[in-house]
Amino acid sequence: MNDLPNRARSISSLRDFLELLEDAGQAITWSDAVMPEPGVRNIAVAASRDANGAPAIVFDNITGYPGKRLAVGVHGSWDNIALLLGRPKGTTIRELFFEIAGRWGDQEAQISYVPEAQAPVHECRLEQDINLYDILPVYRINEYDGGFYIGKASVASRDPLDPDNFGKQNVGIYRLQIQGPDSFTLMTIPSHDMGRQIMAAEREGVPLKIAVMLGNHPGLAVFAATPIGYEESEYSYASAMMGAPIRLTKSGNGIDILADSEIVIEAELQLGERELEGPFGEFPGSYSGVRKAPIFKVTAVSHRRDPIFENIYIGRGWTEHDTLIGLHTSAPIYAQLRQSFPEVTAVNALYQHGLTGIISVKNRMAGFAKTVALRALSTPHGVMYLKNLIMVDADVDPFDLNQVMWALSTRTRADDIIVLPNMPAVPIDPSAVIPGKGHRLIIDATSYLPPDPVGEAHLVTPPTGDEIDALSKRIREMQLGALS
Amino acid sequence: MTTTVCGRCKSSGAVTDHQGRQDGAVVWTILRCPTCNFSWRDSEPARAIDPAVRSADFAVDAGDLQRYPKILQQ
Ligand SMILES: [Zn+2]
Repeated sequence: MNDLPNRARSISSLRDFLELLEDAGQAITWSDAVMPEPGVRNIAVAASRDANGAPAIVFDNITGYPGKRLAVGVHGSWDNIALLLGRPKGTTIRELFFEIAGRWGDQEAQISYVPEAQAPVHECRLEQDINLYDILPVYRINEYDGGFYIGKASVASRDPLDPDNFGKQNVGIYRLQIQGPDSFTLMTIPSHDMGRQIMAAEREGVPLKIAVMLGNHPGLAVFAATPIGYEESEYSYASAMMGAPIRLTKSGNGIDILADSEIVIEAELQLGERELEGPFGEFPGSYSGVRKAPIFKVTAVSHRRDPIFENIYIGRGWTEHDTLIGLHTSAPIYAQLRQSFPEVTAVNALYQHGLTGIISVKNRMAGFAKTVALRALSTPHGVMYLKNLIMVDADVDPFDLNQVMWALSTRTRADDIIVLPNMPAVPIDPSAVIPGKGHRLIIDATSYLPPDPVGEAHLVTPPTGDEIDALSKRIREMQLGALS
Repeated sequence: MTTTVCGRCKSSGAVTDHQGRQDGAVVWTILRCPTCNFSWRDSEPARAIDPAVRSADFAVDAGDLQRYPKILQQ
């Protein structure tokens, strides 16, 4: 396990990453017989309890799916995320945050193309009599889901109105409900790239073909899950952020896909058709409603030999969904805030995709943190998601909830709380007044500055910084060493 | 035992989409309700699939499918 950064940069597939995780004690194989329901869910949820150290779990003995493999929890802990970023287990969340925030503009994208005949993803190909249930060891993710969901699909498509434009290719993570052997519905909203493309194809009456990639390069799910500029290719972005090459090939229906993915499902939108879909246990920990959603017909499936179906547990947190997207939700808000306010020192938007955010800031003047909070609400992610904001001083680590609670306990005055009524809200937030509309909360837990009356109390300043961080790690190592 | 009555909307006429086998024997069957699109495996716990004990909070009214919103309208 020497040279973790190089090892991380050499990952080109899910298999490579599982091997790295296994070497680091961060992937296990579950070979006891397990029923799809409720067995797989129970094991995935039990693993999720350890947000710091949970291993990925590969099932190879699911009853009724002989010979098939399923992986869950690949991004399910901070230790797994650390290894993906070339950092050792035990790296703090704060360090991982700055690792990602520091990567912007650091590297060029390295994209190469593999001929289809040589791409591992095309080793096996099915073009007729397709039965998704025969290919994928699916299971009901939450007990009242409307069906069997593919929860961790990276869906690639070309802009139906500009199909030759590489930059307008879209890759996003969507969840799909299988609807019979060779169809699935896809849930999206008009503001997502896929929602825009579906509406454009239906308005103009042109085909929309997609490629659903399963079991992918682990960097793609981390970096393709966050909205970036529509003109920017997610592949280029993921490659630059990983500082590593990405190998692409063509799907049978002409879309750029990852050459080393486990499975790709090629499908075509059924223009204007909608089918009942849902509910699905969503990231706020509540079910979405039943909706009539766009339906796609599967035209072909390619997969590697003995493919691994990768899925995710999403539901009431903490879950893999939180570790998968948390840091890369936080880092763009940080970068955008820093453009206006360099006093911002860190952003923690890990909780339920940023429904609660904690921002540390050095107060420029009395009340300044509130101004920064209002700016955060106008960032692209903040517009819909940042519902509860807690503002803390720069000497409080927003990723350490014990420190955040200290700030709430000692620096918050009840009249430092602002409620902004009737604001935009994520439709699936269960606390919304009506779906899509709710209230925002800002808690200013920063210290007072003149002209505020500061009072007589002086703060204790315990030692902090690199030296203390190193001592803390050394104590932990001595403790672990005492066991062996 | 395989029933073809939907646990969610209580319609009959479910279709079989797949059967899982282990050593040649069928160990479960995946069914789908053509009325409300609920899919289930007959080996699942009763509280998820048996209309007699399944939570009414998650029922679908087969007589009023119009109530469910259509997403992505022009
Ligand atoms: Zn039904």
